[in-house]
Amino acid sequence: MTGIVQLQNVTKTIKGKTIIDSLSFEVNKGEVFGFLGPNGAGKTTTIRMMVGLIGITSGDIKIGGNSIQSNFEQAVSRIGAIVENPEMYKFLTGYENLIHFARLSNKVDKQKIDEVVKLVNLSDRIHDKVKNYSLGMRQRLGVAQALLHDPEVLILDEPTNGLDPAGIREMRDHLKMLTREKGLAVIVSSHLLSEMEMMCDRIAILQKGKLVDVQTIQDFKNGVDHVVEFNVVPVDKALVIIQALGIPARKGEAGLTCKINKEDIPSIVKSLTTENINVYGIKEVTKSLEERFLEVTEEREVSLYA
Amino acid sequence: MLKLLQNEWMKIIKRPGTFVMMGLLLVTVVLMGGIIKYQSQDEKPNPNWKLEIQTTIAEQKQNLVQMENVPKGQREYLEKSIAINEYRLEHNLAPNGEYAIWSFVQDASSLIQLAGLFTIIVAAGIVASEFNWGTIKLLLIRPTSRSKILLAKYTTVISFALLMLTLLFGFSTLVGWIAFGMPEQSTPYLNYFAGKVTEESMVFHLIKFHGLSSISMIMLSTMAFMISAVFRNSSLAIGLSIFLMFTGAQFTNLIAIKFDWAKYILFANTDLMQYFEGMPLVEGMTLPFSVSMLVVYFVLFHSLAFFVFRKRDVAA
Ligand SMILES: Nc1ncnc2c1ncn2[C@@H]1O[C@H](COP(=O)(O)OP(=O)(O)OP(=O)(O)O)[C@@H](O)[C@H]1O
Ligand SMILES: [Mg+2]
Repeated sequence: MTGIVQLQNVTKTIKGKTIIDSLSFEVNKGEVFGFLGPNGAGKTTTIRMMVGLIGITSGDIKIGGNSIQSNFEQAVSRIGAIVENPEMYKFLTGYENLIHFARLSNKVDKQKIDEVVKLVNLSDRIHDKVKNYSLGMRQRLGVAQALLHDPEVLILDEPTNGLDPAGIREMRDHLKMLTREKGLAVIVSSHLLSEMEMMCDRIAILQKGKLVDVQTIQDFKNGVDHVVEFNVVPVDKALVIIQALGIPARKGEAGLTCKINKEDIPSIVKSLTTENINVYGIKEVTKSLEERFLEVTEEREVSLYA
Repeated sequence: MLKLLQNEWMKIIKRPGTFVMMGLLLVTVVLMGGIIKYQSQDEKPNPNWKLEIQTTIAEQKQNLVQMENVPKGQREYLEKSIAINEYRLEHNLAPNGEYAIWSFVQDASSLIQLAGLFTIIVAAGIVASEFNWGTIKLLLIRPTSRSKILLAKYTTVISFALLMLTLLFGFSTLVGWIAFGMPEQSTPYLNYFAGKVTEESMVFHLIKFHGLSSISMIMLSTMAFMISAVFRNSSLAIGLSIFLMFTGAQFTNLIAIKFDWAKYILFANTDLMQYFEGMPLVEGMTLPFSVSMLVVYFVLFHSLAFFVFRKRDVAA
């Protein structure tokens, strides 16, 4: 099955500067796809190209087989999106805003508007002026306008920005529901990993306009090195012993830390005890996803300038 | 397309600024009516008007002879004044005979400038504001082409201009009728063109005047719209258009004294009244010439606006 969203060697150059460099990946129906990268990596720029707000210097983006460049109206009618902040007409009510956007796509009726309003939990404030909305309420209204025309692809640029923990959880549940039950493809961008971890099925890591990697969230987590911490006395002697075994190790906060596989632990313990080292504890230290992310992007940086 | 127009009108009507504009227009008309009414109370028809006019004519004729080298404009003004006054004597038509509804509508028509100003403000903001608000991002990711959106916006500007003109005409007719009433006998409008004086029905004259004045208003609004779409900056569009609205005609007049090419300037052609009353700005200019120049400018503004708006990256 080919993805509903396909990026093929997408490149964007602005004033001689390559901002997005030959990006290719696919997003399938029914999955939440995370778009991960530090500030300025090019997430928003890529999203702008996907929805046709800016031109593509070379390459192509297809939505359900329609090129966003040559077949704009067909392609864009399958997308609902928020690009950066969900800016609405502040002098209109939430409901009037939705009517406004509904008029721009065919086939959206009043019933549909009420349905999305209910979905994003905005029913009791929908007739207030948007200028009186909180950031979180605007975010919800943004999601509502993106869902109006029953899109197959939902693109959200930093959707949890401004939401409280309950709101984030709710958003996560919505996205899960939309993908599992309605078969939407959802693309979210973020630089908050903890959030991505809970929300996404797959993530693409973007760094300086280049794709570093596309992985399922599971593979990404498994890629984390196992670091084991040995709480031993005396530390210096133990360090010499372990290093003699050809294992990289260094002094940590509470003893020694070394990069090893789980299976190697018993043999190391044996070596240590035969040398009369007291072992008080052995602890597996999994790196947080955060660290893993920094690691991936930094590795990339190093190799870029190597 | 109808839905797009509904959208644009909703965005205009739901902003308080629109009602402020309409209110200002109404207040100004009422104020003007009040002032004129107050002033005309102690102004009674002069029974000796014939004598007065004769003196004026004599004075002006002498002026004309004395000042051989007066600027063209001033000469024309004097000639026109003399011709009309002589016509009055001949046909026994008293000047400022009876001030009634149509006289007031005529005076209030100077407020077309105000209506034009408001239209320019709307035209200048209609595209640029979407960029300022950031809503352009949500507007352009719909299955509606950019050209269609721009066309809907321009159509809205034109209908807004018509609304303003209609309001002005309606307000001033109403205020004129309430304050001054219908005339007992209809006074004709004296038109001077190419050395000849003719009589015209007042209502016909007023409709013609409003219609022709709106052309200048529409051209300026189109220019403001173009600047708004190309530069995405409403202050620039408002500032430049209003500046040109107030100074364009004067500059063009100055240039026209020295150079013939002044006739190719937009402002030399916006005032089509010059072909019905008075004299064309530059000798040899004709109505078809001006109309074609206006069409050229109109097409130019729109090509620029559509070309840039369709092509540009939206990174607001
Ligand atoms: N119009 C433009 N002209 C020049 N450079 C631009 C333009 N738009 C974006 N860039 C550059 O492209 C890079 C990517 O920007 P982009 O907004 O896509 O980043 P991002 O990944 O969305 O970052 P953030 O997490 O901060 O939202 C940045 O270095 C930015 O300076
Ligand atoms: Mg961004």
